[in-house]
Amino acid sequence: MILYLPILLLILLSALGAVWLAKPVHAALCMALSLALTAVLYLALGAHFIGLVQFMVYVGAVAVLIVFALLMTRRGEESSEISARPRSWALGLACAFPAAAMLVTAAIQGAALPKSPPSEPQVSLSDLGRLLFTDYAPAVLVVALVLTAVLIGAALFAREPQKDTLR
Amino acid sequence: MSAVPELLSPSVPWWDLEWLPRLPQRVVEWIVQFLGLPEWLAQIAGMAVAAFTVVGVFAGAFALLSLIERKTLARVQNRLGPNRVGPCGILQPVADGIKMLTKEDIVPARAEWFLHLLAPVLIVVPAILALGVIPYGKSWTPVPLELGLLFFFAVGAMTELSIFMAGWASVSKFPMLGAMRAISQMVSYELPLMLAALGVVMVSGTMSLPEIVAQQGGFHLGFIPAWNLFTPWGLVAGVVFFIACIAEANRCPFDLPEGESEIVAGHMTEYSGFKYALFFMGEYLGLFAISGLGITLFLGGWQAPLPGLGFVPSWCWFFAKLSAVIFVFLWIRATFPRVRIDQLMRFAWLCLIPVSLLTLPAAALWHHAGRGFSGWALTLPLLAIPWLILTVTFNKRMAPQTRRFHYADS
Amino acid sequence: MPLPSISFFLIASSILFGLGLIAVLSRRNAILILVGIELMLNAANLNFIAFWKYADPTTLPAAEISLTGPMMVVFSIALAAAEAAVGLAIILLAFRHTRSTDLNRLDSLHG
Repeated sequence: MILYLPILLLILLSALGAVWLAKPVHAALCMALSLALTAVLYLALGAHFIGLVQFMVYVGAVAVLIVFALLMTRRGEESSEISARPRSWALGLACAFPAAAMLVTAAIQGAALPKSPPSEPQVSLSDLGRLLFTDYAPAVLVVALVLTAVLIGAALFAREPQKDTLR
Repeated sequence: MSAVPELLSPSVPWWDLEWLPRLPQRVVEWIVQFLGLPEWLAQIAGMAVAAFTVVGVFAGAFALLSLIERKTLARVQNRLGPNRVGPCGILQPVADGIKMLTKEDIVPARAEWFLHLLAPVLIVVPAILALGVIPYGKSWTPVPLELGLLFFFAVGAMTELSIFMAGWASVSKFPMLGAMRAISQMVSYELPLMLAALGVVMVSGTMSLPEIVAQQGGFHLGFIPAWNLFTPWGLVAGVVFFIACIAEANRCPFDLPEGESEIVAGHMTEYSGFKYALFFMGEYLGLFAISGLGITLFLGGWQAPLPGLGFVPSWCWFFAKLSAVIFVFLWIRATFPRVRIDQLMRFAWLCLIPVSLLTLPAAALWHHAGRGFSGWALTLPLLAIPWLILTVTFNKRMAPQTRRFHYADS
Repeated sequence: MPLPSISFFLIASSILFGLGLIAVLSRRNAILILVGIELMLNAANLNFIAFWKYADPTTLPAAEISLTGPMMVVFSIALAAAEAAVGLAIILLAFRHTRSTDLNRLDSLHG
């Protein structure tokens, strides 16, 4: 109990920072912190493989990608966003609040929710690997195709525009 | 945990120094138990002492390496290197440490002080974490994790973000450039690193580093050690891994992010005093960690190279191999010029990644063809032919060009 | 170590989802919208892992519980990374075109 609640609270606080901070880089780094804390939570819950993969992929790749994109799309001084259009913040809150409230109500009043884990689920790496190549093999192949398409597409999109020879 | 320390067990001969790295931890645990304190306190104290041992040993090695690097580079460049402070300059690291600690800590006025402060810390911490999972001896892995390799790569991935933080927080052009270059370089060279390590995982069947080392025991033909480097795929993957090591550690010839002649000090420009020392230490500790991993994966970790040399303690072999690998890195630093950013990217994406991708089916083929002579015979063409094709095509387009310069009056 | 009831994890992931949704709906910078999307995906993954951890082995066969949660999260993480890459590439293209990451500026098809 003492371990999980502070981590959850910190995850929510850093996500709040990611949503609320004005400067884009600060928001992106808060998001990275939130994802890193989620990885720590996974490790504490016993999903060691997932925790490390979350850290490596989200914090090590996605967050780096996002900050790199922020670097490449700078135009000088970033303008503060919160004070710019207060109307859209209220609108966003008004849209998100019912969704979150529904989910929270479902979480509190769920009928058959287990109260505490009866036993430690055991994850072994060899089982994970075997499942990936037997039961989940079609999914792995689809994800491989998707990742190849993403690689080619992103490289194509982000290429320097080819200069026309017509001058 | 018994009251009698393990180092007095009768099965180990007295001259076998295997117990030496464990000594501080065992002593502290024994003391805490002797004082009647609870068991969990003994465990925590033991773990803390083990962590301090690792950090202390490698911090001392870092100090020694800074001196040895300067001396080696100097000798290669036909000069003497530091020789003023102490005999043969042996106290130079002490002098450097005192200098770093007593320098004024300057933070630029426009810099974001929190990220500026956090960045050096977040560069040293992953390196120390990574040092904790490497098996240094037969019975001495500070933290033997079942997913040790994955843990290593996960904490290594954190370094990229902290280099970005260092470059961003000092609101200045050179650090920003250095950070962008560093991120692109580290991201590009992470792929060959992981792909090369993946071949080892495939063949060993485990991500646990002590297990990987234990499977590299034994000798082929009586005298060739069964290290992963002496397999066809291991040779290629090992070379790729060590090249990617140099790139990940931002060392010459891949030290564009901190190119002294171009962008002052890259992401470390606006740092002074102890923070700069932390950057320095983080870089060298990262180098130790990643070379240690390379030795674990490809060079057999703490295994002895010849059958009769088992009497030398295993951690001695590890540190001997580490010294050899670091010396090769220093040699490479003294010899090669810095690569350009486009050459760097091209090398990573067009050469290293295809080659390291090839080692995966090569490793599978080698394993299923029996791991012996037939394995070698089947795998060598698979690796050699693409390599020949790659080098021939690259040589045609990227070979050094002869340029003729005429004097103005001819 | 005693674990709290699952409601804590589910409520936390719901609030995380809501925060991500707020970011997607109210941010102007396209990249920060992607940050919100990542937070939402993270909330879903947290849900998966929470249910995996609290699954009752007496009602489900062991093979089904033991790895479904991590499996779903593995694919979810892989696809989230892929989608972040494509999204950022598109944003870079749009930035080159309009020199701004403000999504309100991409309105040339507006009626």
